[in-house]
Amino acid sequence: MKTIATHLIRKLPTIFVCLFALLISSTGPMEASERSFLDSVKESDEPFDNRSVSQVQPVVEKTVLAKEVDQTGSFRVLARKQEIERYKCSSCHTDKKVLVNYAQELTHANVVINHGREGSELSCIDCHHPEDRDFLEDKKGRKIDFDHSYQLCGQCHFRQKRDWLGGAHGKRVSYWAGERVVYNCASCHDPHSPKFEKRFPATYSVPLK
Amino acid sequence: MSLQTPDETTRHPEDLLEKPCSRRSFLKGVSIAAAAGSAVLATGCVPSADAASSEELKLRWQEFFKKNYRLMSPEEKVETVKRIERLAKLQEDLNVQIGTEPPIEKVLYGYAFNITRCEGFMECVSACVKENNLDRKTNTQYIRIFEMEPGKLDPSTGDGQYYHEVPVENKFYMGTQCFHCENAPCTKACPTKATWREPDGIVVVDYNWCIGCRYCQAACPYYGRRFNWGKPEVPKEEVTQKQHYLGNRLRPKGKMEKCTFCIQRTRKGRLPACVEACPTGSRVFGNLLDPNSEIRYVLKHKKVFRMREELGTEPKFWYFID
Repeated sequence: MKTIATHLIRKLPTIFVCLFALLISSTGPMEASERSFLDSVKESDEPFDNRSVSQVQPVVEKTVLAKEVDQTGSFRVLARKQEIERYKCSSCHTDKKVLVNYAQELTHANVVINHGREGSELSCIDCHHPEDRDFLEDKKGRKIDFDHSYQLCGQCHFRQKRDWLGGAHGKRVSYWAGERVVYNCASCHDPHSPKFEKRFPATYSVPLK
Repeated sequence: MSLQTPDETTRHPEDLLEKPCSRRSFLKGVSIAAAAGSAVLATGCVPSADAASSEELKLRWQEFFKKNYRLMSPEEKVETVKRIERLAKLQEDLNVQIGTEPPIEKVLYGYAFNITRCEGFMECVSACVKENNLDRKTNTQYIRIFEMEPGKLDPSTGDGQYYHEVPVENKFYMGTQCFHCENAPCTKACPTKATWREPDGIVVVDYNWCIGCRYCQAACPYYGRRFNWGKPEVPKEEVTQKQHYLGNRLRPKGKMEKCTFCIQRTRKGRLPACVEACPTGSRVFGNLLDPNSEIRYVLKHKKVFRMREELGTEPKFWYFID
């Protein structure tokens, strides 16, 4: 009996070392290093009440309720009509005859269309309604309001529209919280020439080191 | 600790401190008196009732003995902010409003940058400089935009000092700034605990506790931090007056500073200045914990990557392509 006891006592340090190693390998550090904060981000599926941020003010610009839904339900877009200089179009587009002297002023000679493939650019009535000038018209012949031009643009640019609805294209106006208000297509893009023009940067950088 | 009765301390000649009762505040009072005395000696004038200067001195000393922001009670935060506002008025005749808005609950800020859309106009940089009262003399900028060769994804290979018409064909543009790492190396390097991660994920600096050792700058693998070699110079009419204690308030000389996701704006629900200024919509900002937020849409539906992800710093700043 005595020999067994002394044998065990002699082995004690080894047993402790083994136990310690087991403890370290089985728990704690391994799990912690494998779990990233991103996992908890992806797991958080409780919608945040964006209206709970009390200091959010209504957007200054004129907005309209969008005719589409995003992941949150309804959202608003910046209105467009008040930005169009000569709207309402029907104030000129009447049956009245126009004197040739005013033709230069009254026609849209300043509009250069640079939209569509080079050589086969779009024409006016590809987007504008041929009869009712106060509206746009999509390929299915539906009248589209100038404030809701995303419905028209999205026919071809459906990928951009999908991302715009989700939030990866375009951006929100002023606030990340509060009711979702986003820029309209034509708030940023000139519909007649949608690509941004080349220009000099707003500033420059000096070397860091 | 209180060795003096309130009576004893209120008999202080300048009556500079209204309610001191501890040894610490007593010493503070003595040091103010000493400083005031030495000022009189240096100028050799008869001590006049120069209210402004003695008030300034008092405020500066109270500021010198204040706690770390994280240890302050809400009342102490209000007091220090009042002092700083008053000092800005006395020293530079500026009417600033400094906020101490706490983090919003259930919010973790995240940021995404679209490298397909950015065209290098650098509107974000100039908006940031203006919003955050950055030093105009040395042209301090939190954001850098790099003009990149196709196929390269490391900004150190790009041109960060371009100045020509943009966008250039067959180049793309990539912005960097502080990435607000979840596992931020800079906060661990700070010997005075003057920089830390806030509960909403923003990495901030208490400029009054920063000693300017620049360990954090050395620890940051992204060149996200900037140092003030001199006092930042901002034209008086261009100072952004709405400020935050941890954000764009006017920094003293010799302090470290960095992007704070415009803490003075974002904690009020506004977008950071760079996002608001971006003409191409390349910048997406939002709440990572909200499954309906734009940033979560980007993370879910776009090809995203983070810079030097292998370092394990867990930045909350993603790059994505359309």
